[in-house]
Amino acid sequence: MWKLLKTNLIIEKSSKKNIFAFIFVALFIIGLAFYMENEDVGNLVALKTSEHQNITSALSQFQVMDASKDGDSNELYKNLNEQQRLISLQRVAAKLDKPDLFANSAIELANLREDAFTLEGYEEVAVYLPTYTVNKLESIFYETLKTLDIPIFKDNLSFYQFLIFLFGILGSIWFIFLAFYTCGIMIEDFRHTSLIKGYPIPFDQYVAAKGISTMSIILIFIVELFLCSLLLIYYRGLGDPTYPVAVFDGNYEIYSIAQYIGICLLYMISIAVFVILLSIILNVLLKNMYLTLFVELLLFALPTLFPRMISLFPYNPFNYMNFTNLLNGVSLDLAHPVALNSTYGLISIGLSIVVLIVVANLFLSTGKLKRV
Amino acid sequence: MKAYFKFELSQFIKSKKNIAIYVLLLFLACFYALNIAPSYKPIEKVDAKEIEARYLSREAFLSNFTNENRFTGMAGYGLAIYPKWNWLDKSRLDALNDNKLKQYSKFTSEWYIYSNNITYGSEHFFYSPGYYTHGNLYASEDGYYGYLYSASRYQGYAEGKSKLSINVFEERTALQTLQRLLHSYLPMILMICCVFLTVDVVLKDRLNPSLLKGFPISDWKKLIIKGAVSLIGSIGVIVPLSVGLLLIGIRYGFGDFQLPVPIYSYSGEPSYFNKGEFINITMGSYLLENFILLIFCFMFLISLVLLVSMIIKNEFANLLVAAIFIFNEIFYFKRGIGFFYEVENYPTNYVQVGQILSGYRNYIYNSSALNLGNGLTALGMGTGVLLLLIFLISKYKRYKLV
Amino acid sequence: MLELRNINVQFSGRDILKDINETFHPGEIIGLVAPNGTGKSTLMNVIMNYVKPNSGKVVVQEKLFYTSKKDEVKIHQIVSMMPDQSDLYNHLSGREHLNIYCSMWNSDPDLIDKTIADLGMESYVKKKTGTYSLGMRQRLCFAMQIVSNTPIMLMDEVMNGLDPNNVNIISNILLKKKQEGKIIIIASHLLDNLEQIADRIFLFKDGNLINAALVTNGFGKSEISTVRVKGLTNEVSEKLTNAFPRTNVLSLSNGVSLVDVSSFSVEELSQIVVFLHDNKLTDFSFGNVTLNDLYSMYYLKDATEYSNSANIQDLQEEYLRLKQELDIVKKAMTIVARK
Repeated sequence: MWKLLKTNLIIEKSSKKNIFAFIFVALFIIGLAFYMENEDVGNLVALKTSEHQNITSALSQFQVMDASKDGDSNELYKNLNEQQRLISLQRVAAKLDKPDLFANSAIELANLREDAFTLEGYEEVAVYLPTYTVNKLESIFYETLKTLDIPIFKDNLSFYQFLIFLFGILGSIWFIFLAFYTCGIMIEDFRHTSLIKGYPIPFDQYVAAKGISTMSIILIFIVELFLCSLLLIYYRGLGDPTYPVAVFDGNYEIYSIAQYIGICLLYMISIAVFVILLSIILNVLLKNMYLTLFVELLLFALPTLFPRMISLFPYNPFNYMNFTNLLNGVSLDLAHPVALNSTYGLISIGLSIVVLIVVANLFLSTGKLKRV
Repeated sequence: MKAYFKFELSQFIKSKKNIAIYVLLLFLACFYALNIAPSYKPIEKVDAKEIEARYLSREAFLSNFTNENRFTGMAGYGLAIYPKWNWLDKSRLDALNDNKLKQYSKFTSEWYIYSNNITYGSEHFFYSPGYYTHGNLYASEDGYYGYLYSASRYQGYAEGKSKLSINVFEERTALQTLQRLLHSYLPMILMICCVFLTVDVVLKDRLNPSLLKGFPISDWKKLIIKGAVSLIGSIGVIVPLSVGLLLIGIRYGFGDFQLPVPIYSYSGEPSYFNKGEFINITMGSYLLENFILLIFCFMFLISLVLLVSMIIKNEFANLLVAAIFIFNEIFYFKRGIGFFYEVENYPTNYVQVGQILSGYRNYIYNSSALNLGNGLTALGMGTGVLLLLIFLISKYKRYKLV
Repeated sequence: MLELRNINVQFSGRDILKDINETFHPGEIIGLVAPNGTGKSTLMNVIMNYVKPNSGKVVVQEKLFYTSKKDEVKIHQIVSMMPDQSDLYNHLSGREHLNIYCSMWNSDPDLIDKTIADLGMESYVKKKTGTYSLGMRQRLCFAMQIVSNTPIMLMDEVMNGLDPNNVNIISNILLKKKQEGKIIIIASHLLDNLEQIADRIFLFKDGNLINAALVTNGFGKSEISTVRVKGLTNEVSEKLTNAFPRTNVLSLSNGVSLVDVSSFSVEELSQIVVFLHDNKLTDFSFGNVTLNDLYSMYYLKDATEYSNSANIQDLQEEYLRLKQELDIVKKAMTIVARK
């Protein structure tokens, strides 16, 4: 096994593909930092201004007679009116840098919004408001800030804060990147069959070594993510690793940034193993790098194309490949809502990995390693 | 030359990967036509009930407050603006109920202009709710664009000879769907397909070099022929897509090439005070312009991939470099920076073909220079430079193509 | 020791290998000779277990069979096959390839430098193989197998693309390896070279493995056994067999006729010279049946014994077939020219 890994190291270290993937990852992170800067991600004043406008627009949908605040006017109208007031308050708090006021009104706002979901006529104004899940996550986020007495205003480009954003984006594209990176994992070897076929090594060991060396390169990519982000410490400071992040993992929960990144890393690593195995099997079955890629991307896209599948087969590992959506509880807001649990996700991916290993072991033999 | 072209073309067509791309596109096109297109909810929909509700409540207000002079402030403002607004709404309603679609178009166009005049910058009036989705920071900018776009469009319907229908009004017909798609993700999808079709066109020869090296044709010509084959293949993606359009057409009508497409353009330099205006062109010329600009994008991408294939000789690198071209704009885009930078000089700014040609990119960049001419120049010059590099490298004595 | 037991291989109903039984011993170089597509590579693939025989067994060192994957690994530690030069990693240097093979077979790392020196590869071994010429690649592939240092080595077309000098170098290395007690099985079309270095040579005919030494009297012997005559016509050939009834004339397709003189005395031999001279045939030589002769005899179809059975009809058929082939080739050439 060791000699195989050594061989793979010789082959991989000068592979142009790896060099380019490294450059690409670095460019991606730098680009992302620029994007955040350009788009002013996390600018609360801008956010609250737009929210205010939206609520006002929602209010304008109501008839004049709903407008009286007391008496028997429309409950939803009253609710929205109150929301509008709180958003104005938040905007002021953000402008004047009063975090306590901001958090307090945020909590109140979230409670109001939660009430609004049950009120008559909510569907009419739903588009103006955050979804139930988003609101719930915001609510526990601000409550935590308040109870732990943590300041709100954080530079979103400081190291740890940036990492949340980075891993949030990675959650949606990690599978795609891996599919691109690994889709030729065996095909490249098929071009060197006469060298490889005769190695005095069992084929399953060979495949395992291949998987392990690919996996280690992917781990290096992950390290690279952190390394490139380190630059931000110099420019924007370290940030706070204990800062809370609201996630859905079956329940609405608060993780610290470090915890959040930890769970993201767990997902990234298990997805990497999964994709490597899938690529190996598809390579041998389809004998074509691009077909492998297309099949993988299609499998990844299927739950999005047919959301009904998610609630019908909640344990389908592909439901969990986009772990940003998973941790944001996106599946709760579907037409057929289903609560996907991040622990079950890891179990589902883990079981699939076992199945893939068994399949790989059963079907792959030296004889299958034919020239392409 | 011709024989080599035929040889490359047959390889291209027989490639499993390429067949898979066409099949996938066919699947996506059908999926779109059958699943997504029917659930399309236009922001500016034709809704008699909504017009009626608005008309009635304003009418009630007007009938309660009859004497203009007695009211000042908001009420007075309402009394000043509602009569014309309501008259327009009433006219639209009547036209719709009588199925006089030309009439409806005429009044709707006027209605949008009038509404926009009052709504833009107002704290009391709002555009259609569809713009104010949660998290949209630019709702009123979008509303402004959307209203004037609709005004111009309906004016076109009123003045044009096209057969009108509710589907045409809601932009559901096949050609209008195509127009909408060109305005969103379609150009990117087409370019991704183009990249996938081109990615191995040079490097596949490395699998059997001795066979191909010896063809009595120069490297430069080989590359040009390969590029031409990919270009033809990329244009060929129209075939699976048109199946989807056919399905949409059967259900919602095909529309026609005379339908108006509003183009946003500035007279003079854009600024906060100098907003642009919409001018209609026909669907035919809009699609033609799109086609031309798309082909230029394809040519740029293909030359880029050819060059990278020559220098780096790695398919993964081809994909990455092409991806950087296609997605680069997302990272540096910022609303309004066209005012400060000459955005029209970067070929990467022309990826969103439909938005460039409709002037939407100008609108959000606050520029007046992102147009077909500049696009062709930027992409054409870019392609020219890339081809020159390819030419020079291929003529370099020590260089080996495969 | 490598033993083949009743190996049968059929592809789509056609016998490629038929009941092959043979044993190869340490310190032997085995030559395999046959036209393309007759089963040489198949036999090697069977020995490597890349192709499963329909029946029969490969036995390595008297105890190992291809029964399980574990055994396969054990056998591959003993038996290696030379890699194809098209399979080299273009982005790696020659030395890195040698390192890979060395570590894969756990062989002595000193072998790397020694082999590089033996093959004269020093000047380019550090460059990427993508820049190599055909001959350089071929030498590298050979070097890789030498570095793997397995007791049994299979080499398909080992001399491909090599100049005579390198053919010599490699031949010498092969002879040295033979002395080290390795079994080396070579398939090659450089028949003269093979004849020089191989201890035993096998021909393939209809799926059978035929020991060349047992085919003709004259092969592999040191005394004069054959007269090779160029331009012997049927008429003269008939005369010759009449004049020397003990002999046997074999006309090969390359225009050479072999006159079997294996039991002739010197006197008789000189009579033959006189006969040939009288019949105005001056281009002839005395010697053995060479592998080339055997090859012509065996595989070039029209090796008909004109002297005994000149059959006009057969000849006409043969002529028509050749003409047809010629037409096909002509057509192919015009297509290529047009491209």
